[in-house]
Amino acid sequence: MQTNFTAEQLADPHVAESEKILRRCVHCGFCTATCPTYVTLGNELDSPRGRIYLIKDMLENGRAADAEVVTHIDRCLSCLACVTTCPSGVNYMHLVDHARVHIEKTYRRPPMDRLIRQVLATVLPYPGRFRLALGLARLGRPLAPLLRRVAPLKPLAAMLDLAPQARPKPSTSARPGSRGSEGERRGRVAILSGCAQPVLDPGINEATIRLLTRLGVEVVVPQGEGCCGALVHHMGKEDQALAFARSNIDVWIREIEAGGLDAIIITASGCGTTIKDYGHMLRLDPAYADKAAKVSALAKDVSEYLSALELPEVESRGLAVAYHSACSMQHGQKITMAPKVLLRKAGFTVREPAEGHLCCGSAGTYNIMQPEISAQLKTRKVKNIEATRADVIATGNIGCMTQIGTATAIPIVHTVELLDWAYGGPKPAKLA
Amino acid sequence: MEAIKFLEPRASVVARRSAIIADLVDLLPRECVVHEARELVPFETDAFVSYRRLPLAVVLPTTTEQVAAVMKYCNRYGIPVVARGAGTSLSGGAIPQEDAVVVGLSKMTRILEVDPANRTATVQAGVTNLSISDAVSPEGFFYAPDPSSQLACTIGGNIGMNSGGAHCLKYGVTTNNLLGVRMVLVDGTVIDLGGKHLDSAGYDLLGLVCGSEGQLGLVTEATVRLIAKPEGARPVLFGFDSSDAAGACVADIIGSGIIPVAIEFMDKPAIEICEAFAHAGYPLDVAALLIVEVEGSEAEMEAMLKEIVAIAGRHGVRTVRESQSATEAALIWKGRKSAFGATGRIADYICMDGTVPLGKLSYVLEKTSEIVERYGLRVANVFHAGDGNMHPLILFNANDPEDAARAEEAGNEILKLCVEAGGCLTGEHGVGIEKRDLMRHQYSDVDLNQQMAVRAAFDSEWLLNPSKVFPLEGRPAA
Amino acid sequence: MTLTPHNEADAAYVIRNAAAGGTTLAIVGGNTRSGFGNAFACHDTLSSSGLTGIVDYEPAEMVMTAKAGTPVAEIEAALSANRQMMAFEPMDHRGIMGTTGEPTIGGVFAANASGPRRFVAGAARDSLLGIRFVNGKGEIVRAGGRVMKNVTGLDLVKLLAGSQGTLGFLIEVTFRVLPVPQTVETIVISGLDDAVATQAMAVAMAMPVEVSGAAHLPQTVRGRFLSGRLPDGEATVLRLEGLEASVSVRAEKLTAAMAVFGEVSRFGAEDSRHLWQQIRDVAPYAGTPQKPLWRVSVAPSAGHQLVAALRLEAGIDAFFDWQGGLVWMRMEADPEAELLRRYIKALGGGHATLLRAPEQARAVTPAFQPQADAVAALSARVKQKLDPAGIFNPGKMAGA
Repeated sequence: MQTNFTAEQLADPHVAESEKILRRCVHCGFCTATCPTYVTLGNELDSPRGRIYLIKDMLENGRAADAEVVTHIDRCLSCLACVTTCPSGVNYMHLVDHARVHIEKTYRRPPMDRLIRQVLATVLPYPGRFRLALGLARLGRPLAPLLRRVAPLKPLAAMLDLAPQARPKPSTSARPGSRGSEGERRGRVAILSGCAQPVLDPGINEATIRLLTRLGVEVVVPQGEGCCGALVHHMGKEDQALAFARSNIDVWIREIEAGGLDAIIITASGCGTTIKDYGHMLRLDPAYADKAAKVSALAKDVSEYLSALELPEVESRGLAVAYHSACSMQHGQKITMAPKVLLRKAGFTVREPAEGHLCCGSAGTYNIMQPEISAQLKTRKVKNIEATRADVIATGNIGCMTQIGTATAIPIVHTVELLDWAYGGPKPAKLA
Repeated sequence: MEAIKFLEPRASVVARRSAIIADLVDLLPRECVVHEARELVPFETDAFVSYRRLPLAVVLPTTTEQVAAVMKYCNRYGIPVVARGAGTSLSGGAIPQEDAVVVGLSKMTRILEVDPANRTATVQAGVTNLSISDAVSPEGFFYAPDPSSQLACTIGGNIGMNSGGAHCLKYGVTTNNLLGVRMVLVDGTVIDLGGKHLDSAGYDLLGLVCGSEGQLGLVTEATVRLIAKPEGARPVLFGFDSSDAAGACVADIIGSGIIPVAIEFMDKPAIEICEAFAHAGYPLDVAALLIVEVEGSEAEMEAMLKEIVAIAGRHGVRTVRESQSATEAALIWKGRKSAFGATGRIADYICMDGTVPLGKLSYVLEKTSEIVERYGLRVANVFHAGDGNMHPLILFNANDPEDAARAEEAGNEILKLCVEAGGCLTGEHGVGIEKRDLMRHQYSDVDLNQQMAVRAAFDSEWLLNPSKVFPLEGRPAA
Repeated sequence: MTLTPHNEADAAYVIRNAAAGGTTLAIVGGNTRSGFGNAFACHDTLSSSGLTGIVDYEPAEMVMTAKAGTPVAEIEAALSANRQMMAFEPMDHRGIMGTTGEPTIGGVFAANASGPRRFVAGAARDSLLGIRFVNGKGEIVRAGGRVMKNVTGLDLVKLLAGSQGTLGFLIEVTFRVLPVPQTVETIVISGLDDAVATQAMAVAMAMPVEVSGAAHLPQTVRGRFLSGRLPDGEATVLRLEGLEASVSVRAEKLTAAMAVFGEVSRFGAEDSRHLWQQIRDVAPYAGTPQKPLWRVSVAPSAGHQLVAALRLEAGIDAFFDWQGGLVWMRMEADPEAELLRRYIKALGGGHATLLRAPEQARAVTPAFQPQADAVAALSARVKQKLDPAGIFNPGKMAGA
């Protein structure tokens, strides 16, 4: 569609990029149909097309963000269902990223909102702090109903609700070092330990490491690696996000130079989407552009990597698995078939819930920042999943596991935990 | 684009803006009224994005009663009302104006009843076209009209525009599949037309309302006819060396007495655009492509295909490819249905919608190319060939005002050509704002005056979507 | 006086004069549907029988244009020569109305007269693409066109279809035609009561076999069809049409599915054509002009309930078309309009049209289902916009 930017505005490469994205949009409205917030709220302003238009208006007029625009951008889950739907190829992801940075730079949020965001940004990306916070959360849980009654404090209540009842024991899986392959070596990969996942469910990477090494792949946990930056990236905290990215890139490049890497394995698809975007995020940084592109090219979801290994067919074990495709998996990384094919090969009966394209409402810190919309999406998602009458739910993202896990009695595990079990590993604890 | 004028906003209404908003906020829950300046901007246009007008306010009611309350209020104060479904109109049907309240039906998305025994579904107006088929699919039914935007467009909007789609060749358009509506008249009165029964006790007001572009009232609920899903359906791709050959083949298929479910046409530029998006396996080495869909049992499809292949053979078909699986069939349709949007990858476009008699297809296609070339522009053709409903997409650069003006003029010429060829201005997208000023090319003053007189029986003050459909000059005084 | 203009200019002239002088006009074609609607009186009769002839017929485009007064027989002959047909199966009312003369194509559309295929292929109004008519001011108005898909402006075509000559004088109609199916077959399920028959028809309609006719003929009427050759007991009849190969496959499937309901027999093309024409023309109730006859349209599942309820309170005979949604109902004595219409409302809505009744009963019974006040008011305003002087068939339709 038509845009109105001055040459001066377009001199800013970020604006120029957004202008290019906006020019592709033909305003057809297809994206509204698959947008979880539009489907829930029924307001164009809470749809991709509405947000694109709000962003366009804000950027064209070179205006600071204001409460109205921020409200609707904040409600975006960044699930990217719209990107999958868009026939015109509008890169909504980069547009909304730009808008979030613009908001962070030009808009002063209300004090409580600011505080909560600051707390999340300071705690979640750091496993030590996060672990400590979960302990505190257990103590604070009785306060949740009280907090829920005060609008600005609702996110705190949501946080308390999400904290697991029991804090898993720290695992050795995140400890730096190399895990040698069994038998003939088929490859060497680095695994991303991540930030929240090893605290919430260390079993995922344990299973990944077991499975990969059993299949002849050497797995390295590099020293010094940290949060991928997605969390703060989605808050528009660009500097912090890029700092995380650069730090991880340094770690992996060092590892590549040391022993070579066939892939950087990611077991949380939310992180995968961001790491695969490092190349774009750092495109304007001459010192990092090439390295970032290299890292992005090596980044693989564990299901992608396993697909290339051609695992053998396993006899059916009569277990029905509802596969929940995380948004970051299906929309962010466009991985749709691989996990299902792997599960089927491994002897599971795969069932696909209706409305599989809709987000479960987890979306990083969304379930904390937008508890009401998130809860509606969760209910809808769980209803669809339970309608499959599956024995177990499998997914590839820790956020979804936490979110969906709080609302259903059906056990939910990471896809790789089932695969590990099928190919000789232990039965996932949740299925015991 | 600036060539098409809107009605001058009513100064008395605009002057009372804050009072009106205060009243609307009283009438409806807070989350149902949009009035902040910033928030109104995304409502200034629909999928006919070349034209834009800010509304005075937007309301998003959740019940018929709320719609009625708003209509009653607006009627009392002489405030224009523009209905909006999903805002996917290609003719600007949902573009508001400065003195208008937009009534958006996007929160009214409940499926009220699926009645398999009577083959009907009753839904709120904001339910999307595709959701109806999704909801009735477990019972073995579908809702037949399938506009390409069916993923997003609402049944209310479909009724407003009497929408068609690829499969209408066999199953008819919206008006042929609509059994009843609940609608709110301009003064807030709620009426029911039709129901689960067929035909009308009196005048066919339902038929009149369907396709009335939000000018006779506001539909809030609809009862539609359902059809049993066919046993199987198979799209087949036929590639030709020329548009002429493809056009002649269409006429021969229809003339032979075979009526496939759909016959879609794409020319080379359209094939390339769609293939790039959908990877449906469209042949890239042909000048024109027909997607012919047959359905029924295996035996039936085989029998029909045999005849169609024979006819295509007589027209020198170059490639024939049957879809081999449901996934492949879905991709073929995904590519076709995304054609307009996918065009956005290479250029801005405006989409024409004229319908011509089948015998004139080739002639109009050729003339269309000539016209567009004369304006120094490019065109991609993708359309419903079986019923002669053409969709030339005129490609242009929206950031170049001269280019845009040329595109608009070329479009007008093409539509006049369709009328001259014995066809009409619009087959399924509606007149909206886009084709309003061309109406006199299709209708005489007497014809149009009669239509406007009937319109006045519903809305004598021109409050409902007033800038649309009828040329601004020569309207009877309110 | 009967006025029979031979061209449209004359027709317009006649109507202009009538409007100016306040002369009311009874609009007729072949007058085979005379007796339709409320009893009304006019100064003069305006007949379309002088406007005849097929103007344009393009078999390859499946479109025909004809003058309104063209006999249906002439149209059908031309179509038949090209193996085409009017998909909506225009009903011939002469039998039940006890009239003579030649039905005209204008009359078909003015009455929106449709037959058994209506519930899947649409009514006459769904095939009508364009019209020319003279409005009550004597202006010649064109609406619609000659292409299948046309949403240009208000759909006056639909409005005029079925308006019984109260809104305008049709002078030319353009309509869509379809190829005649290669063959036709009828599946007969015997011995089902009305309720079970309705279920069976619903099951058939939910199957992907494209049933194009679904009627239920209770014991009282069964013998009146096909000279009594339908098997004993009630007959629930389902029609399949299309390519030979396909019809036989579908017939097998349908037979298998219907066997759970009752004994199934099959009738071939010749009998089928005859049977469905008899159903179309309501053969059992032809020739008994004194007994009131209703045409009732309700939801398919409501038809048999309506009949069952009425049977307890009145002497009626009935059979069902359109999957049970079209009830042809003959009353033994009184039309029982109020009773009937009350039950229709209670069963979810619909409408009953009194086609014929003794004069006294007609005079006091609204022929068309009374409408909600707001709808009636709207209809009256619409009438006023097309016929401001109220000269066309005044009073024939309620509020018009």
